[in-house]
Amino acid sequence: MELVFDRETNRRERLWFVHYYASWVRKVPNHVWSREQAKLIDSLVLNARNFNLSPEEYLKMKENGSQVRRKR
Amino acid sequence: MKIEFTQDKISIEDKVISALDRFVLDFIRLLEKYTDYVIVSGYVPILFGRSRGTEDIDVLVKRFDETVFIRFYDSLIKKGYYFLNPEDVHGLYEMLGEGLGIRAAKKDTIIPNVELKFVKNDYDDFSVDKKVKVVLGDKKYLFISPIELEIPYKLYLGSDKDIEDAVYLWDIFKDKIDLTVLNRFMKKLNVSGVEHGIGI
Repeated sequence: MELVFDRETNRRERLWFVHYYASWVRKVPNHVWSREQAKLIDSLVLNARNFNLSPEEYLKMKENGSQVRRKR
Repeated sequence: MKIEFTQDKISIEDKVISALDRFVLDFIRLLEKYTDYVIVSGYVPILFGRSRGTEDIDVLVKRFDETVFIRFYDSLIKKGYYFLNPEDVHGLYEMLGEGLGIRAAKKDTIIPNVELKFVKNDYDDFSVDKKVKVVLGDKKYLFISPIELEIPYKLYLGSDKDIEDAVYLWDIFKDKIDLTVLNRFMKKLNVSGVEHGIGI
């Protein structure tokens, strides 16, 4: 079975979600959107403790990434 | 979302502070004792609710003397931070002077980290000179780059994630920001948001 990734469809779907989510954020009180966001971010920060790269390996990875991306 | 928006201040009341917000606020409280700073790029849309995390927080600082940097470095170390870069304090300052970023994190962690850079062009200078104070509650505040520059800059960077950040900021702030300034930066950076309805 061949797996096909349609990048353009994926991009459109993600942008649709960004609009949808921003519209929700604008409608609800601050404590509602920020509570949901904090749950997501807190779990990401907690999970980052399992990050296995050394500082040297991490810096190398970032350096390689910035070479293919315009950066401020 | 309820925000109070003026040209140089945005207030968000009742925001639930995340672990990332706490990390940034703690770092910034130390940094601000030594220099003017401004937060740019990915953390800005996150601060206003974008549903994503980030590994690093990009912070631009005005150029300052090595003696000041040494005092800042010492205060960071005392408070349990370290620099991911292997250079000593003089080497770190040299990196800043060469336009490179240096990264600080809490001891025994890598993520999240702050990437610190000296301002190096007119856009960076504008960001710092026209910085916007974001108040998150009692004694919780930080300075960000103006939204009118962040949106075009994100479009300029151009990755899917950057474009989504630009679209998100536009959706949140479209009826509050100065469209003349926004469109001026769009032109300068030679980017267009028309495809996404930005700047129209």
